[in-house]
Amino acid sequence: MADGRGRMKETPLPLVRRADEVHIAADRVTWREIVSRLSAQAPAEACAFVLTRPSIGALRTTVIIRDVIWARVGEVVATPRALEISADYISRALDIAIDAGPMVGLCLVHTHPRSEWGEGIALFSPRDDWYEQRLFPTIAGARPEALSASIVLGSAGDVDARIWWRENKAVVTQAAHAIRVVGPELTVLETPASPWRDHPDPSVMDRSTRLWGREGRRRLQNLRVGIVGAGGTGSLSAFALATMGVGKLRVWDKDIARKENRHRTAGITAEYVGKPKVEALKAFAESVATAEPFLMETYEDWGTTEEGLRRLKDCDIVFCCVDKFAPRVPLNDLAYAHLIPVLDMASWMHPDKNKKIDALMTHAHAWSPGIPCAWCRETLTSYGLTKEAQGRQQGIEKRIPYGLPLEDTDGVEPSVLPLNMLGVSLALMEFMQVGLKITDRTPNDLKFILPEWELDESDRLVRGDCGCLMSVGAADTLSIRPVLLE
Amino acid sequence: MQPSEELLKAVETLSEKSGFPFQISPEPVPGTSLFVVHTPDHGFRPEYTVTRGVLGFRAPFNFPDAAPEDSFFVIPVDIKLLSPDPVRNSIDVNRASRTENFVTGSALGNVAVLLFSWHLWDRVPWNRRAHTLVDHYSHCIRRFEHAENG
Repeated sequence: MADGRGRMKETPLPLVRRADEVHIAADRVTWREIVSRLSAQAPAEACAFVLTRPSIGALRTTVIIRDVIWARVGEVVATPRALEISADYISRALDIAIDAGPMVGLCLVHTHPRSEWGEGIALFSPRDDWYEQRLFPTIAGARPEALSASIVLGSAGDVDARIWWRENKAVVTQAAHAIRVVGPELTVLETPASPWRDHPDPSVMDRSTRLWGREGRRRLQNLRVGIVGAGGTGSLSAFALATMGVGKLRVWDKDIARKENRHRTAGITAEYVGKPKVEALKAFAESVATAEPFLMETYEDWGTTEEGLRRLKDCDIVFCCVDKFAPRVPLNDLAYAHLIPVLDMASWMHPDKNKKIDALMTHAHAWSPGIPCAWCRETLTSYGLTKEAQGRQQGIEKRIPYGLPLEDTDGVEPSVLPLNMLGVSLALMEFMQVGLKITDRTPNDLKFILPEWELDESDRLVRGDCGCLMSVGAADTLSIRPVLLE
Repeated sequence: MQPSEELLKAVETLSEKSGFPFQISPEPVPGTSLFVVHTPDHGFRPEYTVTRGVLGFRAPFNFPDAAPEDSFFVIPVDIKLLSPDPVRNSIDVNRASRTENFVTGSALGNVAVLLFSWHLWDRVPWNRRAHTLVDHYSHCIRRFEHAENG
């Protein structure tokens, strides 16, 4: 749709600010398919419609693209300078979107290939603007509850994007700030509207920058990382992320700091006993943060409430630092449906009667498309959740009918700082991989095990019948049940 | 903590499909996150000393991600077999036992129940995206179709 030389008369776009941040997101498989097939058409332009689903956070609106509707022969006429999209293709794509549900819209992706004038630049041309102002009223008119989008791919990997939606009787648009491509790792493609900025004094991170470079430093400075739970593992995660130069942290915990927390929780000094854990952690993280600016938002609530889940949709990566299984269910769903990688960590140990550890496990597991989810890995099972819900009556159906008494336990297990630190360290290694791609491969579930003193990587694969496969990119069309812990 | 909309709807569907009016406790059993689901007048095996009474089970707050407990209960608690089971030579109901504090907080009051052991879901594991309370109820009453000496 572009010739980039202003042949079409410029028409002002109907710009409206819908959200502070606007992202487009795609799972890596979908994105690679789109880019490779469309780029292969060069030097001709190429385009495709993709279904969209909305992911609405508190300050970020993300349009997730999945399910490409490829043009059939004759539905698109492409030249190096322009595209002609037939009414048949538009109509067929709209029918598919309508069948997929009321929240499903369409994204038009097209290329600006390299030409005799040089690289194709990823900027919407006046011709693109002109065409889309005629196309999207049709799409948004038929899909009034959906968010639609358009993306232009430059020939050097650069991108531009915007979203379109119906507001009252008008069809309006807002520029997208970034495209997130999420597979086992997170890739953020900045658009010309990106508000990201570099650290004003990069020398303070010299030793880290030697590993992940300026791009990595810029990414850390601008990522928003959520941390659900500010206890043994959550407090250490926040401390580490703030120290490493992450620019935005959001932390949830409803607990009040007690003196019993001090021996294994970062930041709880004597003065914070009796105050919210997140208050203590905020002061501590701000005192060590190296990002500039550094923003730490804290919520004295559980992160898996309806409101918590909404705010988590603003995050780029989430650390799951809870000590129960139930809240892992919505966080696992969030990872796959909203394309927000979640790094789960947990520790468990069992001392024998002589206070020697006869079993210990700490694990870190990235939940993200392309990696087995918590259900595939059986960290989560329906019976495990039921057992947890049984609380003080755990195993009652296996004991009472056989004349055995219930086990007398208050359900509180041992916990020590070094074990929590180990779990957090494994999760931070995975964070560097997911966020900064420090190696070629993101591992499956990592476990450290005693008494064997082994570090083991799970060899379980994605289960073919697991819901995580179907839920990838489902966004707000998948209902995620909040979990309120009491 | 109150039962979720999803759990309330599941109980409503169970009542419709089973033909028995099931109800759910307004709060979880103390010390647990489990709600009591029961119907007051359900048929039992003809070999029992009592042929009708309460039948119920417990479902977790995060149903259906979490499965219903792999067990069910009946009231009255002192149900016996009319004649001794020839294998065990006993009139006690097999793999069932008097259990206290199981339905506290429900409309049944804090009464003892006869709790039937697990293994209802031994053939197919609970599938959070497919199974319903109707499936669980079907497994419960399947117990009454088996020989008592199992």
